[in-house]
Amino acid sequence: MKNILLKTDHLSKSFSSGGTLQHVLKNIDLELYQGDYTVIMGASGAGKSTLLYALSGMDTPSLGTITFGDRVISELDQDGLAVFRRRHCGFVFQQIYLIDGMSVMDNVLAAGLLVNKDKRALLARARDLFAAVDISGETQKKFPTQISGGEAQRVGIVRALINDPEILFADEPTGALNSKTGLDVLDTLTRFNEQGQSVVMVTHDMRSARRGNRILYLKDGSILGECDLGRYEHGDRARHEKLSAFLGEMGW
Amino acid sequence: MGTGRGMRSCPLSSGKWGGEMRKGSILIRSNLHKAKGQAAAIVILILLAALMLDLWLMLSMDYKKNFDRYHEKLNEGHVTLAVDDDSARMRGSLREIFGEDEDIEGYSMDPAMHMVGLFGYNDGEINSELILLEKQTALSRSVGKIEIVEDSGIESGIYMPMLYKSEDIAVGKTIQVSVGSHKISYKVCGFFNSIMAGSHNCSMCALILTEDKYRELEETGYASRSILCSVRLKDKNESEDQEAMLEETISSRYPDIRTASNSYALVYQSRYISQMVCAGIVSAMAFFILLIALVVIVSNINDYIQENMKDLGALKAIGYTGQQLIGPLLIQFVGLSLLAAVAGIGLSYCLFPYVNTMMISQTGIPYAVHFLPLPMFITLAVLAGTVMLAVWVSARKIKKIEPITALRQGVHTHDPKRDHIPLEKTKVSLHMALALKTTLSGIKHNVTIGVTMLVLSLVVVFLGVMVENVIADMGPFLRLIVGEIADSCINVQPGIEEDFLREVHADPRVEKVYLYSSAEVRHVDGVGLVATMCDDFSRVNNKSVVFEGRFPEFDNEVALAAKYARENDLEIGMEMTMTAGGKKADYIITGFTQISNNLGKDCLLTRAGYERLSEMRDTSYYLDLADGSDIDAFNAQIKERFGDQVNTTINVDATVEGAGAVYVSLMIMIVGGILVLSVLVITFVLYLLVRTLLGSKKRDHGILKALGFTTGQLILQTALSFMPAITCSTIAGLTLCSFIINPLIAVFLRSIGIVKSTFVVPVGLIAGAGAGLIVMAFGIACLLSLRVRKIAPRGLLTGE
Repeated sequence: MKNILLKTDHLSKSFSSGGTLQHVLKNIDLELYQGDYTVIMGASGAGKSTLLYALSGMDTPSLGTITFGDRVISELDQDGLAVFRRRHCGFVFQQIYLIDGMSVMDNVLAAGLLVNKDKRALLARARDLFAAVDISGETQKKFPTQISGGEAQRVGIVRALINDPEILFADEPTGALNSKTGLDVLDTLTRFNEQGQSVVMVTHDMRSARRGNRILYLKDGSILGECDLGRYEHGDRARHEKLSAFLGEMGW
Repeated sequence: MGTGRGMRSCPLSSGKWGGEMRKGSILIRSNLHKAKGQAAAIVILILLAALMLDLWLMLSMDYKKNFDRYHEKLNEGHVTLAVDDDSARMRGSLREIFGEDEDIEGYSMDPAMHMVGLFGYNDGEINSELILLEKQTALSRSVGKIEIVEDSGIESGIYMPMLYKSEDIAVGKTIQVSVGSHKISYKVCGFFNSIMAGSHNCSMCALILTEDKYRELEETGYASRSILCSVRLKDKNESEDQEAMLEETISSRYPDIRTASNSYALVYQSRYISQMVCAGIVSAMAFFILLIALVVIVSNINDYIQENMKDLGALKAIGYTGQQLIGPLLIQFVGLSLLAAVAGIGLSYCLFPYVNTMMISQTGIPYAVHFLPLPMFITLAVLAGTVMLAVWVSARKIKKIEPITALRQGVHTHDPKRDHIPLEKTKVSLHMALALKTTLSGIKHNVTIGVTMLVLSLVVVFLGVMVENVIADMGPFLRLIVGEIADSCINVQPGIEEDFLREVHADPRVEKVYLYSSAEVRHVDGVGLVATMCDDFSRVNNKSVVFEGRFPEFDNEVALAAKYARENDLEIGMEMTMTAGGKKADYIITGFTQISNNLGKDCLLTRAGYERLSEMRDTSYYLDLADGSDIDAFNAQIKERFGDQVNTTINVDATVEGAGAVYVSLMIMIVGGILVLSVLVITFVLYLLVRTLLGSKKRDHGILKALGFTTGQLILQTALSFMPAITCSTIAGLTLCSFIINPLIAVFLRSIGIVKSTFVVPVGLIAGAGAGLIVMAFGIACLLSLRVRKIAPRGLLTGE
């Protein structure tokens, strides 16, 4: 029996656009489990990113509740959500979003020092994480404009993990990277998941989606289907076929 | 734009190239549209600068002309003399003196009464040489006319100089005038304008009586029958010399006859001190606001270049020259500034009547507000010129943009050469460290803050000094500006000096009595000087009158006004020859004085020193009474005891309070105005900087919010990022300005004879005000940073 990490109850999100109300998410009941690598897929405009923002406390739902542990986070105000994000969530963005004015190390520490006041322990964790994603000490002193896209995204992953979050949210993490560096990033996320890190990833890329053990397919704001792929193993052909079949069934 | 090669080869109206050609001016329009706040700020600042510049120019240029206009209108004299002998012999003698002098163009001689006297004004007293004239005589003078500016029709009473029109001195009200030591009540019939005798600052103050009241006073004998002479010169620049020469001539022929006099030069400067100070402050504020406007323009252009680097590169790539890209900027900013300046000038004419009312209450000379083209053109030229220079200097970097570099990279918002405050090593808190990173990456912002806070520090120090030395305790101001102050001044006739001194020495209320009397002398190689005599200068209360060297101790020593000494290359230890009453004597200069009353044309002599030249005609004694003594009662007793042998008794405390109240009320207005303006300026500068900072940090703040930073933390960081520059520049500014404030004030007061300002610099008050300024700046920065609330992490992710 898996532990429920995050749960939604009748989650809906609407946007007003040009005087008309658009229902982007409709009545979603969802449970996210500890240790899972959950992938949210769907066509463009299906509401994948909106669901990710709502689950991660970046945005508030229009209706319904989101519960993390025993806390209803959908009732929190903006500052409450900020505190929730810093303590329990990590984020990896498609556009990476490192702060140009800070060195690589400072980008990570700025997030870390917000939660962890023990700088020595924090530095040790940062260095461990940097080593795990193959970012050298020299690169740690550089500024974001001085490193490659792949390096920057790996720094983004370190920043996302510095506070040891319960869930790592990743929004198209390979979207801005080339094939080789994208693969590196996926390997990194997989490795951390194998170490117990819960991951929720939005993607429309089959290669990325294959890394997840649980695939949710979103269509027109509702979860149309779900597929359990089991634990990821490199070169597992059957896994690929199962995912393809599922996506075909969903109309992908 | 459009005269270059690109224009000929690329039609403006069509196709891709035409579109690019239009892009230059579109970019600038969009720049101003995007930076609406900054554009509005520029308009407001230039408008304010134009308003103040125009006001300053009108005050400084036309007020002097106004003085001359009225001087001509009333056919005023350049030298006014009151000679206390109205005999036919004296009239004949004066006609002879004036007639023989080739420098004299014309003159009038009319009967008047002359006596030192006083009247109540602004809860105090005005003490002056009073010239009492009969109404018809005053109005019919051929030279030195007097015009009635308000006449109630009351048939019996007094007409007062319009300077003194106030709550207590109003038409129909009864006022008391002390002529000598006799108090007389008069009903105020109206007010008049006199250029040379319309204020106690003119050395003599005219009062006009209706015929019946004049005759009544004449019969009492309280005042000396006198001849009022107004003398017009061929060259008004000779007024001071001519005054001294006429005084000298009369006193040498009639050593026993008392005279009073003034000159065109002295009256002009005396009556326009307040206007000069006011104009100085307005000009300082005008240039300060202009400086800020230029900083905003430079900042706007820098932002424009940064934001449009790629587009500017594209335009250069298709053939635009740097000049073609700068041209529209110049036209746009100069055009905007000129429009704002015209509005500001228009506003200055709306405000000028109010300023004028304030100025008239200080000068006592009417001024009709009218259109002045020259100040307007100078204002427009100064603003257009400085804006053009600022635009050119800040926009010329467009010339250096290399198209390829701009297209490939745009602009680096951060120079990754140095990691300021690495979080790994710093000991300061996370938020302070992030704020410091922002501070250190914004050198231009820090310079803007530095300049603003330095100027505001000067304002704070100036206000602190004025509050301490004028508003809270007038002592230092009075010691510097007024000179010697005691409780009572009693002017006695020479014959009773011994009895008088015996009497006051025996009175237990009298703590100190000393001779402190004035008379005219003339420097043989120069002009007339007011000599102040004392029997023992070690007894005077205000030792700071001599600020360099020492007071004279022997009869061949003189302490000379520093301003006059500097103008005539006279040094301590040098000898100068003076003359009075037909005699000459040499004196060694022992020290330099600064007394504002005579605009730097005075000296100090011992009594024995003066008596080498002339006998004392009447003598003034200054007295300090024990605390709690009733000065008026004491003066009345002395008057009762000695009768008419006491010419005047003055309650100096009350007189100083009356005159001081004018300065205090003016200073409170100035301090209040400057305070409001300072708060507006700092708010405005911070608004611009916070706005620019939040604009450039929108992405960073979105990221930080997504990572879990709360709005409050980001507001704190933003506000804190300004504090190092604010705190450092305020501390440095206050320290620097505390040292330079007195020399700076001395520069402003030099024209009235003050060469060394000795105002107390209230360190505690200034430090407190500085701390208040820093706290206020932090509060304002926090309030302005509330805009961070609008930045949502979702906006970052969705590109909003």
